[in-house]
Amino acid sequence: MYFATFILKNIVRRRLRSMLTVLGVAIAVGAAVALLGIADGFERSFLSLYQQRGVELIVVRAGKAERSTSFLDERIAERLRRLPGVAQVMGGLVDAVEIPGSGLQAVLVQGWYADSPLFDALRFVSGRRFRPDESHVAVLGSVIARNLGKKEGDAVSLYGEDFQILGVFESFNHFENGCVVINIRDLQRLLGVGNKVTGFQVVVEPAPNKQALVDRLRGEIEALTDDRGHRLPLSALPTADAVSTTSQLRLIKAQSWITSVIAVVIGSIGVLNTMLMSVFERTREIGILRAIGWRRRRVVRMVLAESLLLSLAGAVVGILFGLALTFALSRVPMAAGYVEGTIAPSVLLGGLAIAVLVGLLGGVYPAWRAARLLPTEALRHE
Amino acid sequence: MSDAVLVRSDHLCKTYPDGHVTALVDVNLRIGRGEYVAIMGPSGSGKSTLLNLLGALDRPTSGEIIFDGQPLSTLRDLDRFRAEKVGFVFQSFHLLPTLTALENVQIPMFEGRLSAAARARRAAALLDVVGMAHRLDHVPGQLSVGERQRVAIARALANDPVLLLADEPTGNLDSRTAADILALFDQLHREHGKTIVMVTHGQDVAERAQRILRMRDGRLLEP
Repeated sequence: MYFATFILKNIVRRRLRSMLTVLGVAIAVGAAVALLGIADGFERSFLSLYQQRGVELIVVRAGKAERSTSFLDERIAERLRRLPGVAQVMGGLVDAVEIPGSGLQAVLVQGWYADSPLFDALRFVSGRRFRPDESHVAVLGSVIARNLGKKEGDAVSLYGEDFQILGVFESFNHFENGCVVINIRDLQRLLGVGNKVTGFQVVVEPAPNKQALVDRLRGEIEALTDDRGHRLPLSALPTADAVSTTSQLRLIKAQSWITSVIAVVIGSIGVLNTMLMSVFERTREIGILRAIGWRRRRVVRMVLAESLLLSLAGAVVGILFGLALTFALSRVPMAAGYVEGTIAPSVLLGGLAIAVLVGLLGGVYPAWRAARLLPTEALRHE
Repeated sequence: MSDAVLVRSDHLCKTYPDGHVTALVDVNLRIGRGEYVAIMGPSGSGKSTLLNLLGALDRPTSGEIIFDGQPLSTLRDLDRFRAEKVGFVFQSFHLLPTLTALENVQIPMFEGRLSAAARARRAAALLDVVGMAHRLDHVPGQLSVGERQRVAIARALANDPVLLLADEPTGNLDSRTAADILALFDQLHREHGKTIVMVTHGQDVAERAQRILRMRDGRLLEP
């Protein structure tokens, strides 16, 4: 017989209790994995939105806590384009709307120029993009189109006005598939912001030392001044920084970390309770094991192996549960634009790490108690 | 001849910290290698305490046990000593209920160097010695009490100890089954050369041994 077989038999012997403990750990790990996975997927998706287009810098109004409410004069684009090393500057205006009757509460609306290179990365499944002179027209990402049940030729109501759908596109990016894109002139008018944009995405020219070029441009952009010599209120952030410091993302991350910590605590207490009870119940048995020659160390190994096995089983069930949860969430219209439906392997490994931590935290004290039992005391426990 | 003595105790005393009566008072004994000794005495006379000390389950309050020339007080790892030198047989068998006979016998072997396959082979051989070769895959619940004690004896032999310590091994058995188990102890003594120390209440059981030690109030009575 292997030692592992013995451990397994001990677990199976208290079937119901082991199953309940596994379930508890599974729920904890599953919740943590799902939340961390969603936050991670959100960040990667967001990042790819820029990286796939080669965007190195995001230029927004300096000093704004909430970047989506930044407003900059669209003519700054020309100043940016003139900087040596800049290949492309893409301005855009962003807002979030509620679409009446759809149940969708925060649909991203992008205002793009009709000739924007941003369109180059989109593949039109049906219809076409809008022309500069067209108003009250929209193109929809495939996910939002599906969730709204709209297709080319239908109308969609935005800000109380009807927009005709010219086409439906498929983006490389899941996030973008949940967006509605309209003519920036329409969005500027609807928001009453004149000729303002939210910010600019800057693509730089190929260079042997790209990092140095990006750093230099960053300094130059932030040093730009207006005709009267006043510095323009610009902040140029490297893409990765811009994404990771997004306030919504920070909030989601913080929430998922807090949930994970709570999961570890609850899971550990569950395992601790189970193992402590099982050590107390087996007082005599542990005494017998010591009497017939087991060392303390082996008793410790037995208890720790049992608690680790319980929590690892919980991790496996929990990871499946977390995967199922995110997949299900990605099918729910409300969340589909934000949740990708898959979880990165690194997050799944994180789930396993949580389980190991839970197993150790929940097993150490019972193992110590078990090792401290004197064989004679244990034997008298009849 | 000192090497004919396997275990010796010198002025062995044991008091329990909870204020109970002194369990052992100045016990001096010698048990020869290959000897079969019975310890008799009324309840509370210190028999089991003495057995626990001889088996290194517990340390004496004062005095010394010298096992095979080695004072136990100088050993740091009593667990290891116990695993290698001593086999315990209990009144209520104390088998693990979910393990088969074959698995129960392997439990003490985890501390040894045998592979899993070698452990199973050795356990099967020991179960054959105690006449249980036909019940390898039965769990204790499927065995008669006599059969359970046989499995427990096989388990005590797992690491080939020189000393077998038995605490009322026939206390839970009817007289016929008890006779079978005692015959098994005789066989282990005669054919396998085991040194046996057995605690018992029964005069007839004790008479199977070569020598009877009597205890009262924690003291060894002079023969």
